[in-house]
Amino acid sequence: MNNLWLVAQREITVHGRTKGFLVGLVVSAVLVAVVAFIPKFFSGPDSYTVGLVNSPGIQPAATSIAAAEEITLDFTDLPDERAARTAVEEGDVDVAVVDGSTILADGRVPGQLGAILQSAHRTAQAEERLREAGLDPARVTEAMNVPPLAEVSVNPADDNAALRVGAATLLVFVLFFLLMSSITTVAMGVVEEKGSRIVELLLTSIRPWQLLGGKILGLGLLGLINFVVVLAAGVAASAAAGTIDDLPPGIGGTIAGALGWFLLGYAFFATLAAGLGALVSRQEEVNSVLTPLTTLLLAAYLIAFSAVIDPGSTLARILSLVPPFSSMIMPVRMAGGQVPVWEVALGAFLMLLAVLVVLRVGAGIYQRAVLRTGARVRLGEVVRSASAGS
Amino acid sequence: MLEVLELRKRYGEKEALRGVSLTVRPGEIFGFVGANGAGKTTTMRILMGVLRADSGELRWNGRPLSFEDRRKFGYMPEERGLYQKMKVAEQIEYFGRLHGMSKSAAASATAELMERLGLTERRNDAVEALSLGNQQRVQLAVALVHEPSVLILDEPFSGLDPLAVDALADALIERCRAGVPVIFSSHQLDLVERLCDSVGIISAGRMVASGPVDEVRVKEGGRRLKVVVRDAVPGWADGLPGELTVTDDGRQVLVTEQGDPQAILSSAVRAGTVEHFGWEQPSLTEIFREAVA
Repeated sequence: MNNLWLVAQREITVHGRTKGFLVGLVVSAVLVAVVAFIPKFFSGPDSYTVGLVNSPGIQPAATSIAAAEEITLDFTDLPDERAARTAVEEGDVDVAVVDGSTILADGRVPGQLGAILQSAHRTAQAEERLREAGLDPARVTEAMNVPPLAEVSVNPADDNAALRVGAATLLVFVLFFLLMSSITTVAMGVVEEKGSRIVELLLTSIRPWQLLGGKILGLGLLGLINFVVVLAAGVAASAAAGTIDDLPPGIGGTIAGALGWFLLGYAFFATLAAGLGALVSRQEEVNSVLTPLTTLLLAAYLIAFSAVIDPGSTLARILSLVPPFSSMIMPVRMAGGQVPVWEVALGAFLMLLAVLVVLRVGAGIYQRAVLRTGARVRLGEVVRSASAGS
Repeated sequence: MLEVLELRKRYGEKEALRGVSLTVRPGEIFGFVGANGAGKTTTMRILMGVLRADSGELRWNGRPLSFEDRRKFGYMPEERGLYQKMKVAEQIEYFGRLHGMSKSAAASATAELMERLGLTERRNDAVEALSLGNQQRVQLAVALVHEPSVLILDEPFSGLDPLAVDALADALIERCRAGVPVIFSSHQLDLVERLCDSVGIISAGRMVASGPVDEVRVKEGGRRLKVVVRDAVPGWADGLPGELTVTDDGRQVLVTEQGDPQAILSSAVRAGTVEHFGWEQPSLTEIFREAVA
């Protein structure tokens, strides 16, 4: 066990300080942070400056409406229309309301702001006309103070459907990206040791399972660190962008679940990658020997992607139980909506079972192939020599 | 005492080892010589547990050799292997720890070895930045860091400059004096002759000669009589056994393993001026050539 941890430690220190890892970490964190800011970008700014020329009554009405929309308005009084035009042109104000009848803007009036000002204008005009008709100003104000319509969704699960889909999309992408890069790193590490023959030296002092297990553990921890950093960047950026309040409830559970599924998926794919990697002796051959595995991963990714769009489809439901697809599809289904507990439990159990089988098979291939340097070892030979009991 | 008994190993049709046996005692340096493909590397890899023999036995101090025994061995494989991107000191220390040393013991052994092998200044360089000779030194350090109980080195001298050869030879002698059995294979027979107490000659998977260097010389090479005669009359050695050669300056040299020495001497005296008459021991190179031929 001690040796296993020594090997893992080496992987973490040596790979953790490579440029590739650090750059990948920063790039993926920045990417996720940018994605987290996108909703804010599309929803436009949340504060405007409005110039007023001879338009009393707009300011109090607009302020209260804007507050309900979580938008801040600043008001500037301007002397006349000419001053208002100049202020709009020079960008000192976003728009200007002149004489309670015109909105001046540089181009189109921003949609949300236009709606707020139009509504405020109607309120202000109505109040004034009612007052002019001789009604008590206090009663007018009271009458005009109408509570907004309460918004209620008939389907509570789909409360935040768009956000959930967004989060799930991101999750699929991050899972795929991390799994792909981790398994390539594992296979390349195996080939590095085999190709340089250092494995011959290593295996005289430690057992093959310690070398294999340590490598998978160490690189897995690095992948986990990467995952956590990316998630933290996403959450931090969402908080900074002010969208964190909008995150679907239970997102914490979704993230924890995703971590668990990532680990299962990683154990499955990384062990097979190590076994396949042990068949070849040169780095150039890594990609071709990994092709069946990366194809499988890509298929899982594409299906998971379709599950983002329609989490309830039959294909998604079935494959979210079937290893190794479940490792990518189930977390997406869980992020995208409600999944019965028994389905999650069954999916996790089957995946765990698959991981155990793969650990045995992958480690067996690794052990038999890793010392056979030279030409690529055929999988069939390894399996045959296993059944022959050598 | 390290014993190899009747090892056999077959790769498909080819019989790589056909009953190889050898013994190395504590404090003994055993030189393992043989042509390429004779079975040296296969034997050493089986000793280190990298390969499995089809049959035969390995014993260490009278007991079957175990994985735990081997963890204390020091090994330099024929194909050198180091982590190219790892720093020198880090790497030596890592191997020390894999062999079961504590962190502090590995660190101090590493520092000491690097000092001795002249690597201290390169301690924080990646291995790939070193010259081949220096990489070889790191490889040696990796084999020595845990003060191994046995040293098994496959062609340790190949590719070394003369200074590094001396440094390595000193290191082997030092380990050997500490009571450690040392086995190394080499094509440089002069080195084997200089360093080794015992020698094993392997040919086509079979040990053709093995034992203390002097014994092997006598047993395998036998004694040979050499006579050098100046101004000899032609044909003087016609009736004598052995091989007659003529040097550039006209001296006649007779080398023979048979015949009556006294009779040969009197023939030589009659033929001319005898400059040399005596018994000779063949060099390892000659024995090797003969054994392998």
